Amino acid sequence: MIGALEDFLDRVLGRGAAAITVPPFDGPLKPNQLLESAEVLAEFAEPEDLADIGDALYLADGPTLRRWEGSWAREVRRFDRPITAICGLPGGRLAVALNGAEIRTFASVEGTDEGKRIEGHLHAVNALAAGADGKLLATDGSANEPYQEWVRDLLNRGRSGRLLSINPETGEIKVLASGLRFAFGAASAGNDGLVSESWKHRLLAVAPNGSIRIALDQLPVYPSRIVPASGGGFWLTAFTARTQLIEFILRENGYRKRMMREVPPEFWVAPRLRSGGSFQEPMQGAHLKTMGVVKPWAPPRSYGLVIRLASDFSPLFSFHSRVDGENHGVTAVAELDGALYVLAKGSRRLLRLSLSAAKEALAK
Amino acid sequence: MTDNVVEFRKATKLYAGVPAIQDVDFALRRGEIHALVGENGAGKSTLTKAMCGVVTLTSGAMFVNGIEAAPKTPLEAKQLGIAMVFQENSLVPSMTVAQNLFLGQEKFYNRLRGIYISAQQFLQSLNFDVTPTMTVGLLGAAKKQMVEIARAVLHQAQVIIFDEPTASLTPEEKNYFFDLVRSLKKRGVSIVFISHAIEEALLLADRITVLRDGKHVVTDDAASFDRARIVQAMVGRDLSNTLYGTRKTEVRTAGERILTVHNLKMAPMVKNNSLSVFAGQVTGVFGLVGAGRTETFKIVAGVLKRDFFHGGEILLRGKPVRYRVPASAVRAGIAYVTEDRKVEGFFETMSVARNIYLGVLAKFPRGRFFLSSRDAQRSSDNWTSRLKVRAIGTKAKVVELSGGNQQKVVIAKSLAQEPDLIIFDEPTRGVDVGAIVEIHELINGLADEGKAVVVISSYLPEILALSDRILVSRQGKVVEEFSALEATEEKIMYAAIH
Repeated sequence: MIGALEDFLDRVLGRGAAAITVPPFDGPLKPNQLLESAEVLAEFAEPEDLADIGDALYLADGPTLRRWEGSWAREVRRFDRPITAICGLPGGRLAVALNGAEIRTFASVEGTDEGKRIEGHLHAVNALAAGADGKLLATDGSANEPYQEWVRDLLNRGRSGRLLSINPETGEIKVLASGLRFAFGAASAGNDGLVSESWKHRLLAVAPNGSIRIALDQLPVYPSRIVPASGGGFWLTAFTARTQLIEFILRENGYRKRMMREVPPEFWVAPRLRSGGSFQEPMQGAHLKTMGVVKPWAPPRSYGLVIRLASDFSPLFSFHSRVDGENHGVTAVAELDGALYVLAKGSRRLLRLSLSAAKEALAK
Repeated sequence: MTDNVVEFRKATKLYAGVPAIQDVDFALRRGEIHALVGENGAGKSTLTKAMCGVVTLTSGAMFVNGIEAAPKTPLEAKQLGIAMVFQENSLVPSMTVAQNLFLGQEKFYNRLRGIYISAQQFLQSLNFDVTPTMTVGLLGAAKKQMVEIARAVLHQAQVIIFDEPTASLTPEEKNYFFDLVRSLKKRGVSIVFISHAIEEALLLADRITVLRDGKHVVTDDAASFDRARIVQAMVGRDLSNTLYGTRKTEVRTAGERILTVHNLKMAPMVKNNSLSVFAGQVTGVFGLVGAGRTETFKIVAGVLKRDFFHGGEILLRGKPVRYRVPASAVRAGIAYVTEDRKVEGFFETMSVARNIYLGVLAKFPRGRFFLSSRDAQRSSDNWTSRLKVRAIGTKAKVVELSGGNQQKVVIAKSLAQEPDLIIFDEPTRGVDVGAIVEIHELINGLADEGKAVVVISSYLPEILALSDRILVSRQGKVVEEFSALEATEEKIMYAAIH
C-alpha cells in the first residue's frame, strides 16, 4: 500500500522511478569525434555483424557472409535468409544465426556445406559468442517481435529476452537468463556469461548457476554487442543513445499505443539507427541548430558509440559519432592487428580506427 | 588650479597599532585612469577608503584640488566629488534598482513612478540592461556591479574609485565596462581602478601605482610596465610562472564517480543540467554569468532547491539524494565555498576562530549544546597555520582581514568539515596574486589527496591552470567537456557562447 502510494507520488512529482532522467556522457564517456573521423573502408547493403576468425575479418551483409580482403569484401557463403549474428568457435569453426530463428554451425568458415542446424524456440537471435567449455552463448532479443522490429519491442516495453547457452555438438539449449528487457550482445567473462540488457541500459553477468549480478549500470545508451578486447576487458557497442523524450514516451502508455497505431513507424518518437532523412522526423526540443549547424550535444535520435571496458566492466574510454555525425547505429566491432573495425549499421559503413592513434588523440 | 585632483602626502593609517598604510604618497591627476595594484593587505582598500571618507588617516595629509581635506564620512567625500564603487557591493538588497540609485537623494515627496522613469532613462543612457523596478537582491553579481557604477556616475563624481570592478563580469561585460570607464575619462572624471587582474590594469590605466605591505613601491606610466615588473613590484618575487603561466602536461585520472547530476532543473537558471564529478580530480566549470553553474552546485549543496516537479536527480556515490538544508549536505560530505563570501561566507564581526569552528559545528545534527572554546581555538590554530591566514591573531574579527585572508577563512571553515566533495565557487575572486598561488596549491593538494574538487570560475586562465577536466556551461546546462590537455581558451569560450 505504502509502495503504491510512493509510486503515485513519484509519478505526480516526477521523482524516483518517474524522474525521467538520463545519465550524462562524461568522464570515460566524454564525447569526441573519433568514430566520426574514422577511416571509412566500405559501404554495404545490409551490414549486420562482424567477427574475427583466424586473424581474418568476416562480415554479415544481408544473407551473405563476406571476408574483408583489405580493400574489398569477398563473398564466402550465401544463405536464403538474412544473417542476424555471426561468431567464430574454437578450431576455426563458424556459427551463424539466420533471421533470428535458426543457428547453424560450420566446421570451417568458408565452404558450401549446409552446416549443423540448431532450432527450437528461437525467435530473434541477435548475437553469438564462444562461451566457456566449448559452449555457444546466444542472445534471443525478444520472444514477441522479430529481430528487425526492435523498436516495436522497445515501445511495447518488451521483457522477453533470453541468454542461451547452446551445446553446438548436441544442439541442446539451456536458458541462462530470461525475462530480459531486450537481450542484445553476449560474451564470456570467465565462467560467467555477459549479456547486454538494452532497454535497461546495463550489462548483466550471469553465473553458470543462473545467479545474476549487475556488471555495469546507468548507461546513457542502449548497449548492444560485446567482444573481448586484447589485453583484457571488452569492447561494448551502443546502437543509439537515450533521451528524456523517449524515457517520457515509454511512461505514457496511451500516447505510445496511439502513436504506434496511427503514425508510420519511421516517424515514431523512438530511437533509430540513422536520422536526418526527413523533416517529418521527430526531433527533441533542444535538437538545436545555430547558423544552420546542428549542435553535437543536442539530444540524439541516433548516435554512434563504442566503449572500452576494463576487465571489471568499468568504462575506460569511448569513441563517439555525435548528433551532427553520420556513423551512427554501431552494432558490432572487431579488434584485429592493432585496429578496431567498427560496423555502423546506420550509415551501412565499415570503419577502421587505429587504436594507437585513437589513444594518442584521447590523451591530448 | 593644481593638476592633481586628489593627493596624499605621508598618509598613514593604524589599526590597533598595526599600520595598514604607512607614509604613502599618492597623486591622482585630473582625467586619468590610475590603477592601484598590490597584494591583499597591501593597503589599497585603506588608501581608497581614506579617500572616500570611510576611514580617517592617523597621520599625513590629503588634498583635494590642492586644498587640504579630511572627509570623515562618505557623504563629506561625495560633497568633495569623490565616489566609490565597492568590491563587495554596498547596495541595499531589499530595495529596487531605482531606489538604490537615488538613495540619499530623496526629496520630501517622492513619486515612485517618477523615480523609475528617471532611472530607466539614466540606465538606458549608459546602455545598461538593468530593470529599474527589479529588487537588487534578485540581481546577479554583474548587474549589481552595473547598478553600483551607475550610482557613482549619477552622483556626478569628479573622482570615482572602482574596487575590483571586473571580478564578477564576463569578458563581454568587461569590454563594455572598459569603454564606459574611458568615456568617463573623456568627461574629465578621474578614475582610481583597483584590480588583481594585472592585464586589465595594463590595458586600461594611464598610470599604475604599486603598494606592498602598506608602503608605496612605485608609480609610473602604464606603458613602462609589463606583467613581470608589476608582479615583482607587488610581491617582491617572480610568480608569473607559478600562477597561470604554465600549462598542464598531464591530468589526474578519474577515481570513483562521487557526484552525478541527471537533468537537474531549477527555473529559470538551471535547465536540464547533467554532469558528473570524480574523486581525485579537479573538475573546472566555466560559463558566462547566468550559465547556471553556481545555482547547480548550490542545489547539490542544499543551499537552493530544485524544481518541485520533475526537478531531476542528484546521485551521491550512486544513491539519490535531496538536501533540504545545507547541513544535511555537509553531513553527507559536501562542502560549498561560496562566491559571495561577505554575504554567505562568514559572520564578519565574529573572530576567525569562531568562524572556522562554525564549520565543525555544522556537522552536528542539532548543534552542540555546549561549545568548547578550546576546541574552537585548536581547530582555528590548525587551519590558520595550514592555510597561512595572516591576521593579528585568531581572535581578530574577520571583517578586519584583507579579502584574500577572508577567503582563506571561508575555505578553512569548509575544510574543517572534512568533506569528500568540495565545491569552490570563484575561489580567487578579489584575491591577490600571492593568495591565489596559495589557494591553487591548496586545491591541487585536495585533489591529490583523492578528494573530488569542483572549481567554478569565470576566469579562463584559472580554469586552465587548475582543472583536470573542464565542463563548459551555457544557458543552464553543461554543453561541452574538455580534457585540460586539449582545452584552449578559444575552444572553451566558443562552447560557452555558441
